[in-house]
Amino acid sequence: MIPGRGRFLAAWVRTFAVQGSWNYRTLIGGGMAYALAPLLERIHAGDPVALRKSLERAATEFNSHPYLSPIAVGALARLEYDRQDEETLRRFRGALQAPLGAMGDQVLWAGWRPFCVLVSGLLFLMGVGPVLTAAMFLLVYNAGHVAVRVWGFRLGWARGLEVGAALKAVPTKRVSRAFVFVNQVLMGAVAALLIARISGLEQGGWIGPSAAAAGLVGYFVPRGVAGLAIAALFVACLL
Amino acid sequence: MMDVEITVGEWLLASMLGALVGLDAVSWPQAMWSRPIVAATIGGLIFGNPVAGFLVGLWLELVMSRDPPFGAARYPETGPAALTAGAALALAGSSSAPALMGSVLVGWTIGWVGMHSIAVTRRANARLVAKPAVFGGRTSEVARRHLACIRLDAARAGLIVGALLVPSVLVVRGIAAFPRLEFATNLGGWFSAVGLAALTGIGARALGTRRREWPALMAGAAAGALLAWGVR
Repeated sequence: MIPGRGRFLAAWVRTFAVQGSWNYRTLIGGGMAYALAPLLERIHAGDPVALRKSLERAATEFNSHPYLSPIAVGALARLEYDRQDEETLRRFRGALQAPLGAMGDQVLWAGWRPFCVLVSGLLFLMGVGPVLTAAMFLLVYNAGHVAVRVWGFRLGWARGLEVGAALKAVPTKRVSRAFVFVNQVLMGAVAALLIARISGLEQGGWIGPSAAAAGLVGYFVPRGVAGLAIAALFVACLL
Repeated sequence: MMDVEITVGEWLLASMLGALVGLDAVSWPQAMWSRPIVAATIGGLIFGNPVAGFLVGLWLELVMSRDPPFGAARYPETGPAALTAGAALALAGSSSAPALMGSVLVGWTIGWVGMHSIAVTRRANARLVAKPAVFGGRTSEVARRHLACIRLDAARAGLIVGALLVPSVLVVRGIAAFPRLEFATNLGGWFSAVGLAALTGIGARALGTRRREWPALMAGAAAGALLAWGVR
């Protein structure tokens, strides 16, 4: 039986909690079962054995970026509705994980999120109030976040088994490269403005060049200087 | 002996908000009120100084950017840590650079404590949901076990803030009250600036991944320096 609008809405809302039972064995498998449950109940209405099997399948190991999990929830529900066989479902789940994880990390975690954070930081350092800045960050960031979840859920249900081809059409690399470039510029600007705010800076003109040198060293030898950089902050507390 | 002026109501509010920001990062709903700039501002706001909170949050954003949450990487938990750090600076009653640095380090340390506590709850979650047969084919059982995991995460985050708020204020106050040598005033600023710059470089590399992107970071730093100079 095809799920009604209310069931789709319930499943979509539940994807916000898809990582709620994250664990080292099934990753977000439990969350996938939780999100799929309202749809599976309807798809397998009157067939408790099929419902049991589909819930057990849904709860097995799975991983995805949380914002893109609605794609998986929509597509897996569609496959269950289309009565795809067990092997197809298993293969499909396996094939979907890597692109959903990689796309989310590149575009959302390394792109959209730092972009919104850094623009907010810049606004604060230019004099916008902290509460207003934080509220603006939440509003703008979540406009993108919710839009991605809505798009993903619709795409997953509409394309089902063909969702992989639709994902290939998304210009992930181009978008993530643009974000990387802009975020590097923003990060440099925010760091320079924060350093300029440190009291006593106006008395020491050598702080600027030293900071630039430290930034360069940090960029080119990242892991090697992390401990030293943290140690410098500890020492700064005592001087 | 230092006292911390905090009512039971404020402590409870901070702990409850700590639970809420702790939930956000992983369990529900990833709306990013767990980001340091938001969580620390909330912490500062509870105790009347949101500006101090945001400033600590912004420092923590750069300091923690070296550990992005990609794949199965281990990274410091931001929400409860930043909320506690923002509240600690607001409650410390000092906006000096050493107090700010102290709050940043308190936040950074609690972030790693949070990360280890998350690992413990994830092991507990496995007992609740990792064997699909435990659901018995009942959707209500799936929901019951899943929501139990979420409640566990909320309790964990609330406990971290509740337990570490007062000690964090004492640490920040202790750092602010630490006797300083006159000639070392600029050295404190120098260590802060160099530490932050190095961590920003590391964080930028973690986000950028390709060495040829560093001129963009430098261009941003130059623009920021010009802006700061113009504002002064």
